[in-house]
Amino acid sequence: MKRLAAVVALASLATATAACSGGTTNTSGGPGGGGGLFTTIDVSRPGLDASAPANIWNPKGNSFIGYNAMKLGWVKNSLTDPNQFYPGIAAKWEIAPDNSSITLHIQPNAKWSDGKPVTAEDVKMSIGLAYTTGSTAFALTPGAAGAAADVQIVDDKTVKVTQDMANPSSKFARGVIDNWVEPAHIWGSLLPADFWEKLKASRGTGATADKDREEILAIGQKVLAFAPPKDVSAGPFTLERVNPGEALLVKNKYFYNAANVTPDQVKFLNYSGNEQVWNYLSAGKLDHSGFTAAPTDVMTRIKNAPGSEIIKGFSPVAVGMAFNQSKKPYDNVHVRRGLAYLIDRAQVTKVASPEGGTPALTTSGIHQKPAQEWIGPELSKLNPYPHDVAKAAAEFKEAGLRQKDGKWTLPDGSPWTVTMTAPSGFSDWISAQENIKSQLIENGVNAEVVTVADYPIYLEELAAGKYDVGFWLMALGPAPYDIFQRLYGTPNGWTNVAGKVTHNAPGKAGNWMGGPEELDVQGVGKINPGELTAKLNAASPEEAKPIMAQLAMAANQDLPAIQLWDYVNTQFVNTSRFTGWPAQDSDLLRLPAGVWMQLGMIKKKQ
Amino acid sequence: MSVLLESSSTSATMRRNFWAGVWRVMKRKPSRMVGVVLVLGFAFMGVFGPMFYPAQLPRDPNLITSPPSAQHWLGTDDQGRDVIALVVTGSRYVLLAALVTALITVVVGTGIGLFSGFKRGRWDTVLMRLTDMKLTIPGLPLLLVLSTVWKFGSPTQMGLVLGLLGWGGVARAVRSQTLSLRERGFIEAARGLGLSTTHIVGKELLPSMAPYIAMNMLIAVTGGVYAQVGLFFLGVLPYESNNWGQMLNTAVFRSGALTVPSGLGFLIGPLLAILLLTLAIVLVVDAMDEIFNPRLREE
Repeated sequence: MKRLAAVVALASLATATAACSGGTTNTSGGPGGGGGLFTTIDVSRPGLDASAPANIWNPKGNSFIGYNAMKLGWVKNSLTDPNQFYPGIAAKWEIAPDNSSITLHIQPNAKWSDGKPVTAEDVKMSIGLAYTTGSTAFALTPGAAGAAADVQIVDDKTVKVTQDMANPSSKFARGVIDNWVEPAHIWGSLLPADFWEKLKASRGTGATADKDREEILAIGQKVLAFAPPKDVSAGPFTLERVNPGEALLVKNKYFYNAANVTPDQVKFLNYSGNEQVWNYLSAGKLDHSGFTAAPTDVMTRIKNAPGSEIIKGFSPVAVGMAFNQSKKPYDNVHVRRGLAYLIDRAQVTKVASPEGGTPALTTSGIHQKPAQEWIGPELSKLNPYPHDVAKAAAEFKEAGLRQKDGKWTLPDGSPWTVTMTAPSGFSDWISAQENIKSQLIENGVNAEVVTVADYPIYLEELAAGKYDVGFWLMALGPAPYDIFQRLYGTPNGWTNVAGKVTHNAPGKAGNWMGGPEELDVQGVGKINPGELTAKLNAASPEEAKPIMAQLAMAANQDLPAIQLWDYVNTQFVNTSRFTGWPAQDSDLLRLPAGVWMQLGMIKKKQ
Repeated sequence: MSVLLESSSTSATMRRNFWAGVWRVMKRKPSRMVGVVLVLGFAFMGVFGPMFYPAQLPRDPNLITSPPSAQHWLGTDDQGRDVIALVVTGSRYVLLAALVTALITVVVGTGIGLFSGFKRGRWDTVLMRLTDMKLTIPGLPLLLVLSTVWKFGSPTQMGLVLGLLGWGGVARAVRSQTLSLRERGFIEAARGLGLSTTHIVGKELLPSMAPYIAMNMLIAVTGGVYAQVGLFFLGVLPYESNNWGQMLNTAVFRSGALTVPSGLGFLIGPLLAILLLTLAIVLVVDAMDEIFNPRLREE
């Protein structure tokens, strides 16, 4: 589960809201008011590596998001608007009405922890690093949607980034803001002097451009391995030391809002499994922890720890049981519908993710929380697929399946087994599949659960079309395109290059879902869901709504995946030492506690 | 003199009646009886146990990871299934894999050890260097690597891999015994009589080492159980809900058996099975040791 928690946490962080509570300056005890040691864990990364560098790009790097790793801004996961941010290194920004550019204004008193000011040069250099390591707005792939065309230093504290309008994306600004900023006087040597010329040349076509792209990506490997001699951060903290048991960060006195950052020190405790986190929380050791899956009894024990509080909010992710429609009988929509009726989603959620999820109301492709805002009254018109064995049987019969000795078989009488695959370690997925397996077997559908070594292998084999049925993260908000590209994007055959949408045959170019190119949706007519999804890339929220409604209806009838449960963002905090935590359902819950501190929210308990 | 006569008469009786000797050894320490009963019990459980339960175990989604009760003596698992039912149905895979492990360990180890010790010379050098190499390869890390490419879908596959990784120790020990025995008088006599190598190895050497080999085989069963349970516990093998190792993994890492008491039964079930199996084998080996080693017999 730890790995899944990491994936969900990263998905949440990749997308971020709420009014900044501001917080008053506490003058007692010097700058920051109160001081103290803040103890936490990094849920996205189990196992501290004392020898890893303070490098945010390094997978084991000792760089902690929001603490000593800073972004231009912090993306709010607004339910519907991907371009809402909290300030980070950028104090403010202007987005052109047509999304063609974003102008970033750096915090006027932002300084690195060595006392040097944060300049436009630092931002530009960091954008260069983003190109080498892969980033949505700074992608090297020619024709990628929402890619930047130019980075221009306006003055020492202002940078303007222009979008390549050949294939625009409404979340271009988000793609720009959601990037790390590192000091040019430390990291700048990684970029060759002719980097920007090379980048320009790489945008063309032909062998020279290919070679330039390869060279730029090769720099990315150096970026990943780079070990700064000392952590120089523009965040509220800098790394002091790491040992296998903990990482210690101390307050950066040069941080632009240092006066409102309360803790003097932050300690990240090492952990290797959920059970360690449960023990830390039960003992009241942690001031904050991100979502860690816990069974109900453990959750009760954690709640009973002195000062323990649980804050819940929206997590823009859902999980679905997705089908490979190239494989029989999943090519038949009635089989998929039959399974949707047969599976009791409430029971699955209760067994697999009682604290981290809520049963999906239906399959709409959208998380139930923003669904109302996106598709409004259409939501109630969708088939909720309630648990109904009789309806399931009717659908199976419609699909031509036969019942022999109480077991459903394929139309030709050969046995049918629903083989579900999950990555090892994703215990809630495995538990859900085990529950679904039992439910199916009890109703005459043979089923089995197969696990594979890890998530990367799972994704690779899934994309290669090796599985019949697999679990799939969907409804990845808040951007409308991101939500539906999980169902009607590359995995289902549609690729969007340079604004041109093409459909690939099942089994080709990552099309493992293998659904039809056109769907006849009741009440809508014939649609090409992939093309509609691609339109969401550049659509304004108002333009997106009717498209979202059509796609939700398509997903509901077509069922490329059965939406099982929508994730809930569960955060653990302890009020014994600190106060000022975000409110229930706050959009800040989707950002690390380091951001809460830099916004001046966290205060020492008096 | 009469004592001597009586003693020699008892020894003679024991030689004539092997089973009477076995019975005496068992009776002297009743714990050995317990061991034998447990081993037979595990064998019965592995062969017939799963027949007592339906293929799809009954479950109660309202009783997830519940503590022991009158209805569920060791509680339920994370799916609401009876822990005892899981332990029993899971025993077939675990025990069969362990048995295959033990068989391969003993057959390969004994074969190589006997051949090497009896032939000596170049064969011995080559085979023992091979054994040394095998012994230097750390088993668990190799298994972890192997598990990424091999799914160990059946217990025989699992046992085959574990057996091929575990014969080194047996081969070394059997070789040492062979080297020692081949210099003894009765082997010399057999050679002098012109008996064939097959006869000397099969009828003279092997029976002398049979008890030792049998004991090694039993110990290899426990080794096989530990290794596969360990791999499942670490979560590196494909999910099998009723494998004892998987149960331990789920109990600790998902149901919080080490954090809250409700999951304790779920943890204790497979642990108890492993513990009892180990205990049973230790007790039986203890009995075998005395049966086959005259010096240990307490008359």
